[in-house]
Amino acid sequence: MENRPLEYDYTVAKLFMYNAIFVGVAGMLAGVVLAWQMAFPQFNYILGMDLAEYTNFGRLRAIHTDSVIYGFVLSAVWSAWYYIGQRVLKVSMAESKFLMFIGKAHFWIYMAASVVIVIGLQLGITSSKEYSEFEWPIDLGIVVVWVLWGISIFGLIGIRREKTLYISIWYFIATFLAVAMLHIFNNAEMPTFIISGGIGNWYHSVSMYAGTNDALVQWWFGHNAVAFVLTTPIVAMSYYFLPKESGQAVYSYKMSLLGFWGLMFVYIWAGGHHLLFSTVPDWMQTMGSVFSVVLILPSWGSAINMMLTMKGEWQQVAASPLIKFMVMATTFYMFSTLEGPIQAIKSVNALAHFTDWIIGHVHDGALGWVGFMVIGALFHMAPRMFKREIYSKSLMNTQFWIQTLGVILYFTSMWIAGITQGMMWRAYDEFGNLAYSFIDSVVALHPYYIIRAVGGTLYLIGMFMFAYNMYKTMTSSRVVEENELQNATPMGA
Amino acid sequence: MFHWLEKNPFFFAVAVFVVIAFAGLVEILPNFAQASRPIVGAKPYSTLELTGRLVYIKNNCNGCHSQLIRPFKSETDRYGSYSKSGEYAYDRPFLWGSKRTGPDLMRVGNYRTTDWHENHMRDPEEVVPGSIMPKYPWLFKNIADVDTAYAEQLTIKQLFAVPYNKPLPTADGSTQTVALADSLDGAHASALEEAKVVVADMKDQAVKDAVAAGKIPEIVALIAYLNRLK
Amino acid sequence: MNKTILAAIAFLLLMAGATYLAVGGAGGMGGEGDWVNKLAISGAVALFVITTVVVVKFVKQMQNDTASGKLADENWDGIGEYKNEAPFGYSVIYFGLVVWAIWYMLAGYPLGSYSQIGEYNKEVTSHDKKFEAKYAEKVKDPEYLKEMGESAFNSNCAACHGLQADGMDGKASDLHERISAESVKYVINNGGNYMKTSFPGGMPPMLLQDPVQIDAVSNYVANGFKADDAAGKAAFAAGTCNTCHGENGEGMPMVAPKLNAMDPDMVASVLKDGKKGAIGTMPAFNNLTEIQIKAIGAYVSSLSQK
Ligand code: HEC
Ligand code: HEC
Ligand code: HEC
Ligand code: HEM
Ligand code: HEM
Ligand SMILES: [Ca+2]
Ligand SMILES: [Ca+2]
Ligand SMILES: [Cu+2]
Repeated sequence: MENRPLEYDYTVAKLFMYNAIFVGVAGMLAGVVLAWQMAFPQFNYILGMDLAEYTNFGRLRAIHTDSVIYGFVLSAVWSAWYYIGQRVLKVSMAESKFLMFIGKAHFWIYMAASVVIVIGLQLGITSSKEYSEFEWPIDLGIVVVWVLWGISIFGLIGIRREKTLYISIWYFIATFLAVAMLHIFNNAEMPTFIISGGIGNWYHSVSMYAGTNDALVQWWFGHNAVAFVLTTPIVAMSYYFLPKESGQAVYSYKMSLLGFWGLMFVYIWAGGHHLLFSTVPDWMQTMGSVFSVVLILPSWGSAINMMLTMKGEWQQVAASPLIKFMVMATTFYMFSTLEGPIQAIKSVNALAHFTDWIIGHVHDGALGWVGFMVIGALFHMAPRMFKREIYSKSLMNTQFWIQTLGVILYFTSMWIAGITQGMMWRAYDEFGNLAYSFIDSVVALHPYYIIRAVGGTLYLIGMFMFAYNMYKTMTSSRVVEENELQNATPMGA
Repeated sequence: MFHWLEKNPFFFAVAVFVVIAFAGLVEILPNFAQASRPIVGAKPYSTLELTGRLVYIKNNCNGCHSQLIRPFKSETDRYGSYSKSGEYAYDRPFLWGSKRTGPDLMRVGNYRTTDWHENHMRDPEEVVPGSIMPKYPWLFKNIADVDTAYAEQLTIKQLFAVPYNKPLPTADGSTQTVALADSLDGAHASALEEAKVVVADMKDQAVKDAVAAGKIPEIVALIAYLNRLK
Repeated sequence: MNKTILAAIAFLLLMAGATYLAVGGAGGMGGEGDWVNKLAISGAVALFVITTVVVVKFVKQMQNDTASGKLADENWDGIGEYKNEAPFGYSVIYFGLVVWAIWYMLAGYPLGSYSQIGEYNKEVTSHDKKFEAKYAEKVKDPEYLKEMGESAFNSNCAACHGLQADGMDGKASDLHERISAESVKYVINNGGNYMKTSFPGGMPPMLLQDPVQIDAVSNYVANGFKADDAAGKAAFAAGTCNTCHGENGEGMPMVAPKLNAMDPDMVASVLKDGKKGAIGTMPAFNNLTEIQIKAIGAYVSSLSQK
């Protein structure tokens, strides 16, 4: 070990951080517009009837999901990777010109692909598969981006000084491998331009799988995209940022092991819970259901490990909004990983599938767990990258409470809406006829859609506060010394 | 052992990969051959229907509408008989959806008609008070992309032996044939023939005029697709 | 009690209220509520209770406990790791769930023999049994039949005819009247052969060609065969309409539908075969049962009785 402290180089981490903040705001703005559209359809035409083709719910929906998942979350994950990676492996990016080049290429090619994706989705270029809407040219671009990240991971690991890989690194490696595998198999598609000899759109393709098989592969992908983009890299963040910020040692190595290997083994099997009562074979559905329930344990394993890491440290939770974000994130992680398994029980899914309860589940995970953890991570990293304290602690506190209220409004309203919807669809009247027409259920949900839209708007307001606070932190708050940056993040009033 | 892996990144990665790849092999592969077999009565999409399907995908109708009727009485009463795997044999991609903001559409061709769709797509709220489905005026103006649909037909015929121009069995013992033109011009001509049938039941003069002039607005293709969902 | 527990209780109360809203809003689980509803609601409630209780437990530990344990040798960027055991309760539940999973796959819902279609068939049979018993008795009561018809109408027909059955500004027929003059005109000009099951022969087009006569007949039919409408009556005969539809539009079985009033048989034939006319096309409704058709017929024909 060397005596002189390493100078870490955060160039690439900063680039990804800027993008995470920007797309976080933009993608959630799209989500808020969607929410208002479902409450009041006039919002489909906010930019006038002539532009409604580009602003209507259908087009915006994929823009929302892809930009929050692959823009906001992935950027934050990569920012965290380029930050955590150096620190727990004890090497600096500055030590390798090659890795620095790869990192920058990773960022810029990713940005280029993102721009093409957004334009394409606006124009209605989509393969229809959720979270994998992209046509083949973009699929290839994604492969390039992914390979670059892989080089960065294994390159940095290759020159590491710390021999044992820290838990966060396990999760980054898993994310890398799993998404690579999923992406390749789910995008087996044939460009129609080639076989037809140059007829039609050059970017159009047709899936190699048909019907039930296509669904099977898609939800094997879809479920695990959730697992390996919205879960494992976020767990990687929580294993670093929470102990680091609080100065506490991780509670238990055994829990880390159970959590990690359990998650790896069980997660993939659970994809069948997206296909319950569909035309995939019964045994596969049963497997999906069973493994989902078992999945509570590895998920809660990590969560409990985090909670117990904070044992005896309540004063920190009370004092620091940053720690609040991370503890609340862990709470929502427990919540959504119990909710998911409950929804995966066949008879519960019979009611919940296709309803807003699923949307509620998505967002208590996405807003409560992923969003809060990402926000916490960026708040922790910024002062260390820019050598300035957080601009305003009170703004951060306000943000925390506004967003918490936002999430609660979001998931409670969707929870009521979903159960109402599910029950109305199933209801029979005393004559043995269906009791409600479909539109009755749509009308019944109106108030809940409004509440959700309000909740989402609050969360978005929080995002604006976040962006402002970060901007000030990067540019004009008090400059701090290295020794103030050991654990608890310095914050201005 | 785990601690050893943690010091040997290569073997660590291999171990992770084996653990995650395993489930895919066991769950996905066995079903492959079996599930893609068409049921009696299933038939490939005609050129105009496939064009309409692309319009459906382009506008992400599947973001609000499912095409999967689950085997519950409340669903079969509302939407018709439950879905069978073989009915989807020609669906690339599948369009089951995962959210019912609007109703299931798998068999909407059985209980809605051309003129109804025409009214509804132009202004859902007027036909179904309280509807939150957006209006789709641009479908009445945009010209549908028959070329790409035809390219897709050629591709699936060649790659997956989709039986165009072949007699296919139907439930009542007779046969039916879905024709595929052998040139792009031929495809346009046959799509136009199909479009004329649809447009005969429509009221919009501009759409009628367009078809008369040999162009096919997206709405016509979309309705051809919706009508065929049975 | 401290703040944490109060907050937890407040949260659980909020969710209990929300549950009540959802269940109440959807018409309740009812006396005969189906067990999918019950299970889903229990699951939903368990979700909140379990999470809240567990989180409160950990918060208490944050408040009152202290961290301890043997540290691992490594230290990553200042982060240490204890070599603590997993909490006992956690390990027990972990093990228990794995056992449960194996039981579920081998014995509970054996992978090889559970079938969702089998379950569906059971559901349908028991539903039909339950209501058939009821129908047999009550269907004889015309009021009951009409109410039943209204309910079926609302979930099947209102999409086009509107909840008021007024045809929604001409998007479908206004069922409060037998037929509009415009529709009569359309049939005369185009003929019709849609209600094939009931009237296999169909009606030929162009039985009348003089616009004046066509107008006269159309008004005559649409206005309900007023005896004092001599011109209409004459034109009706001139078109040989009476040979099929009867002198006053009372219709003839297997030949032509009744025209002077809406009747259940006519409605039934529209439901069986669908119909195309001046307004547009109505699809057939093959998913309705005989009893539903009868009930809808009773309801729809009651609408036009002044
Ligand atoms: C914002 C969500 C949304 C989008 C996007 C959407 N719909 Fe709908 N759709 C609804 C709702 C809600 C209903 C039920 C109310 C009604 O009938 O209008 C509905 C009803 C329908 C129906 C009537 C089905 C029935 O059984 O009554 C059809 C057909 C339909 N939509 C087709 C489409 C097509 C085609 C598209 C895409 C071009 C589309 N929808 C996009 C929400 C949507
Ligand atoms: C050959 C027998 C025949 C004759 C003659 C005939 N009809 Fe009809 N009419 C039918 C049949 C059969 C139908 C049902 C058409 C269908 O199945 O679509 C019908 C339907 C109708 C309907 C539509 C009922 C509805 O519910 O929409 C009207 C109105 C009507 N006839 C009026 C006339 C008038 C006016 C004349 C004389 C000009 C006439 N019919 C002559 C057999 C006849
Ligand atoms: C998809 C839209 C649609 C639905 C759903 C629908 N109808 Fe209709 N219906 C129509 C249209 C359009 C007409 C008018 C056809 C014409 O132009 O004569 C019609 C005509 C009728 C007529 C004939 C009226 C006449 O005077 O000739 C009856 C009776 C009727 N509908 C009853 C029903 C009942 C009962 C249901 C539900 C079980 C129902 N309809 C569902 C569209 C619909
Ligand atoms: C133990 C862990 C989990 C299990 C067992 C689980 C289970 C489920 C189930 C059963 C569904 C509904 C499928 C349907 O009926 O349509 C679902 C949907 C979803 N879940 Fe989870 N979930 C878990 C954790 C999470 C987490 C942590 C997130 C993070 C955000 C998440 C994100 C999603 C998303 C985005 C969907 C929607 C997929 C779609 O588009 O239909 N889940 N999950
Ligand atoms: C201000 C915050 C947000 C609001 C108001 C919002 C709103 C919405 C709305 C209205 C939908 C469509 C639901 C439907 O079709 O019924 C949606 C879908 C979705 N959102 Fe968000 N969203 C927000 C933030 C996020 C974030 C941060 C993520 C992920 C990290 C996310 C992930 C998703 C996903 C995965 C879906 C698709 C769900 C599914 O198909 O099951 N959202 N969102
Ligand atoms: Ca693709
Ligand atoms: Ca979805
Ligand atoms: Cu899943």
